[in-house]
Amino acid sequence: MSRRTKSPSGVIDAPLDVAAQAKAREEGRPSVRDGRLKTYEPGANVGRFLELLGRRVSRPLAVSLTACVHCGRCAESCHYFLARPDDPTMTPVWKADQIRKIFKRHVDWTGRVAPWWAKAGTPDGDEDLNRLKNVVFGACSACRRCTFNCPMGVDTALLVRFTRGLLTELGIVPEGVFNVSRDQWETGNQMAVTETDFLETIEWMRDDLRAELGPGADIPVDRPDCDILYTINPREIKFDPRSIAHAARIFHAAGASWTLPKWGWDQTNFGLFSGDDALGAYVSRNLYEAAERLRARRIVISECGHGYRSTRWEGYTWSGYDQKLPTESIVAVLRRYLEEGRIVVDPGRNLEPVTFHDSCNIARSGDLVEEPRQVLRRVCADFREMHPNRQENFCCTGGGGLLAMAEYRPLRLEAGKVKAEQLKATEAALVCTMCHNCIDGLGDVIKHYHLPMRVVQVLELVSRALVLPAGS
Amino acid sequence: MPIIESEGLRIEVNEEGFLAHPEEWTEEMAKVLAKAEEGLDELTPEHWAVVRFIRGYYAEKSLAPMVRKMCQATGFPLMKIYDLFPSGPAKGACKVAGLPKPDGCV
Repeated sequence: MSRRTKSPSGVIDAPLDVAAQAKAREEGRPSVRDGRLKTYEPGANVGRFLELLGRRVSRPLAVSLTACVHCGRCAESCHYFLARPDDPTMTPVWKADQIRKIFKRHVDWTGRVAPWWAKAGTPDGDEDLNRLKNVVFGACSACRRCTFNCPMGVDTALLVRFTRGLLTELGIVPEGVFNVSRDQWETGNQMAVTETDFLETIEWMRDDLRAELGPGADIPVDRPDCDILYTINPREIKFDPRSIAHAARIFHAAGASWTLPKWGWDQTNFGLFSGDDALGAYVSRNLYEAAERLRARRIVISECGHGYRSTRWEGYTWSGYDQKLPTESIVAVLRRYLEEGRIVVDPGRNLEPVTFHDSCNIARSGDLVEEPRQVLRRVCADFREMHPNRQENFCCTGGGGLLAMAEYRPLRLEAGKVKAEQLKATEAALVCTMCHNCIDGLGDVIKHYHLPMRVVQVLELVSRALVLPAGS
Repeated sequence: MPIIESEGLRIEVNEEGFLAHPEEWTEEMAKVLAKAEEGLDELTPEHWAVVRFIRGYYAEKSLAPMVRKMCQATGFPLMKIYDLFPSGPAKGACKVAGLPKPDGCV
């Protein structure tokens, strides 16, 4: 690209690694074979990139591509720039300009007529596309804090996701994103959990639950006509089913009618991260269809940021599905149970000071802001806000799928400086969040910056405070 | 990639501390990884029971086992796994057992 800026962070010049893609081709993976998942072929990718760019630019994208006045307000809202204030390549505007200049050169008339004035540019070859990949996947967690602080309404994260989608279509994508997309396409869940393994784990959790609460307690699977279809993050079933047990205890105490589906239970969606709307549509549709198949009255999403955004908001558009059932977060359900008196809690069981971290996809992109606070004030003795909070909170560092991209971790942790300062100032012992990505993102920040804190989820605190009726 | 040097070993790991070359894993490496990544000074027979099971499962299926399988094979209750490996089954136990980083939101 003309006027190439070398990034001092080192991330942007990292080479393209397509070993996982070569392996998937060699194995004849079904998702690669039938073209759902694209793999990288060296050669004429720039032409294809430009063709896709021209075809896919929508009106909201065009606004974000043209409305920027380069005022610099976004810089101070970005945790990458705040951690590296001497590095211009960390500003959201610089990152957005990398796609903006290509748009100007090839789509917008200003760059065609006067490219020098419009600062238009074109990618030279695959190496430039790979640099673009490192910008949009490696140097932005798509947290949308800059979007909320832009006086012109430029949605930089929208541009980032759009660009990710174009690159994913060419196989120019981080290995982690490729692998998870492959598993989600082929098995319907991002950790390739088989149905047998899923059912076995649930059975085991059910036995434990009955040992505690008696034979009436249950974790139903595929039960029709329930009020709640409960959907989870695959890491809950594969590595950490404690959160399923917490939810089951609370549902039991509230006398809820609920079920997990045996297909369509993965509410996470790597389509949001990779920019692949087709994957987004496939995964969200699985959930909507499960709810219809089982005649559930609502879909409830366990604590997960991007899963909430994908299922509750974006999935409706991606899938084009006539989704009429309400879709909500488990935290909204907990708040209702507390309000209606369906569960009784004792805040005396959560005495440590607790602060709350807003997940980007839940607060900024999901508009679920007060519900978790209302719950925490009821179940904790000492709840305190961190600052800034709500829609202005900073990213945990793990947004945008960055936890699945180990290669960008050093920069991600460096950018966690702001989050670490925010956490430290609260002097809380526990930081609560309603997102699995945030658990790991915050956990990494806590470890890296040596903070005396632990990460918990809303379900864990509510389950701990739950007073079970005598005799159960 | 970063290198962990200890006990006369040079271990190449990825940015998250998972072995870069899982096939080169040895029990000596497990001890170094446990110390460096999990802060465990010593691996007890209980740790080894979990680690050996994961290793065997991975050798057979090239996959990290579900935590259910770890508990089934060792007879430990779920909470025991977290007591043994503070970072949990994926980032703790699988890492010490020399598996590559499991894919997905972990």
